Amino acid sequence: MRGVLVFSVMTLRMLFRKRTPWGILTGVLLALFAIAQVPSFSVGNQGRFILDFGLFGIELGALVLAMGLAANLFPHDREQRTVMPLVAVPLSRWQYLLGRFLGAAMVQASALLVSCAGLVVILLIRGIRVPEDIFPATILIVSEGWFLLATVFFFSFFTSPPLNWPLTTILFVLSQMSVRDFVDLVPASPDLMRGLRLLLPHADVFHIKDPLAHGFDVAPQFFALAVFYGLCYTAFMLSLALAVFRGRDLK
Amino acid sequence: MTDGSPIVVEHLVRAFQIKAGLARLEAVKDVSFRLEQGEILGFLGHNGAGKTTTMKCVLGLLHPTSGRARVWGLPPGSPGARARLGYVPENPDYDQSFSSLELLRVFAGMRGLPGTDTDWKKLLERVGLRGWETMRLKNHSKGMRQRLSLALALQSKPGLLVLDEPTGGLDPIARKEFRDIILEENARGASIFLSSHLLSEVESVCNRVIILNRGAVVRTGTLQELLGGEETHRVSYLEGQTAKEVTVPSIELQGTIDMLRGKGFPVTGVERSWKSLEEVFLSATEA
Repeated sequence: MRGVLVFSVMTLRMLFRKRTPWGILTGVLLALFAIAQVPSFSVGNQGRFILDFGLFGIELGALVLAMGLAANLFPHDREQRTVMPLVAVPLSRWQYLLGRFLGAAMVQASALLVSCAGLVVILLIRGIRVPEDIFPATILIVSEGWFLLATVFFFSFFTSPPLNWPLTTILFVLSQMSVRDFVDLVPASPDLMRGLRLLLPHADVFHIKDPLAHGFDVAPQFFALAVFYGLCYTAFMLSLALAVFRGRDLK
Repeated sequence: MTDGSPIVVEHLVRAFQIKAGLARLEAVKDVSFRLEQGEILGFLGHNGAGKTTTMKCVLGLLHPTSGRARVWGLPPGSPGARARLGYVPENPDYDQSFSSLELLRVFAGMRGLPGTDTDWKKLLERVGLRGWETMRLKNHSKGMRQRLSLALALQSKPGLLVLDEPTGGLDPIARKEFRDIILEENARGASIFLSSHLLSEVESVCNRVIILNRGAVVRTGTLQELLGGEETHRVSYLEGQTAKEVTVPSIELQGTIDMLRGKGFPVTGVERSWKSLEEVFLSATEA
């Protein structure tokens, strides 16, 4: 595991030296600031609006961060041939994949935590009560972000970055759909669609912005289970990515 | 389980699909060879002969279509094989945002090597990168990246060095320095698998040579064997007013001179004739 940790720190430093994560983080913070400027009829309404749209904006930020950080990592390594000396000698393929993933995941998590901290600051400045569950909600967004990151890694081993973006976005959209909405996509084959929906990820478990915005309590068991589900699906996507990567030739 | 040979390649075939639906191109065809402990094995061939493809199969970067390669008796890419290996790729490249020293630190960490900055600076000095330790790689020339690549390969004092065109694009002084390091490493006990276009380089460092043409081994042997164990001489003489030459094995030299004199052809010169690796290479690949 030492090789993985050293390589993940190398990836972390490499990504921090790039403009992409900083650009996306700035975009998310500006979006939060813009949301806070939307006028509302009452302080209570405005609090709900900022929380609801703020968390939604951060969740979208998680998707954009996943794609911005990871879509080009392996394709770039392959094109520049930087992957060869790494995989030929100090690292095995699983160590390369896990190291790259952990490095990108740390950058993504940092950016999401900063975004959520920005949301809290905006709420405080506006004099709006900060819900106690905002930190668990952030952890859930980070879990979802890691799942998306693993998905981007999976696609990156057999598609180009321009194709990775729409594929990940489609999976992101499908994973938000309820079973009923999903079955309605192809009403002629409800059983097939139900089965397919069971296989696809259920990203709706990561969303607690509505109860949070409306002041409802969320059970701690729900948080724990949702984070566990996110980590399991992330591991599953990384396993698929490794299976594809192991079969690949590095020409 | 490991055996004594650093590299064993048996009936290696690697085919590539050029375009969907079209026939496959066999880049490497039934290649077999063995690199013995302490040996410097040269791998010669023109562009596209299959040298890099074979090396990548040995390193586990490419999967063979059939046949197999073993590194220290282990499958290519396995942790045991990688632990005793140093690799200098053709046109090496690394993350541009790192400096040479940072990269050496990171590689040492990944390999679990003990070592301090002083050790890595000494290593960089050895490959000619003194004074460039902290400069980002984006400002490095191709030659400097090759030097760094050699430093990374030497970092773990490996028992096997796989060098794929290590001196391509280097100036003559740097080539000489590379050659010296290769010989020093061999003297330390490292086995070396060297692919190169530069025949003089192969001739000056290798014990044994494999010549590859269109993916197949066409000639193999020690330098002595390839360059002809048999010594020859070139005899110049005059036949009337016409200057002529004849090349004969040394054992037949005196008989040839006597025969020419007997015919009344004055002998004007005798020179020892050396067969060069270039001649051997050209005759092997043209055939």
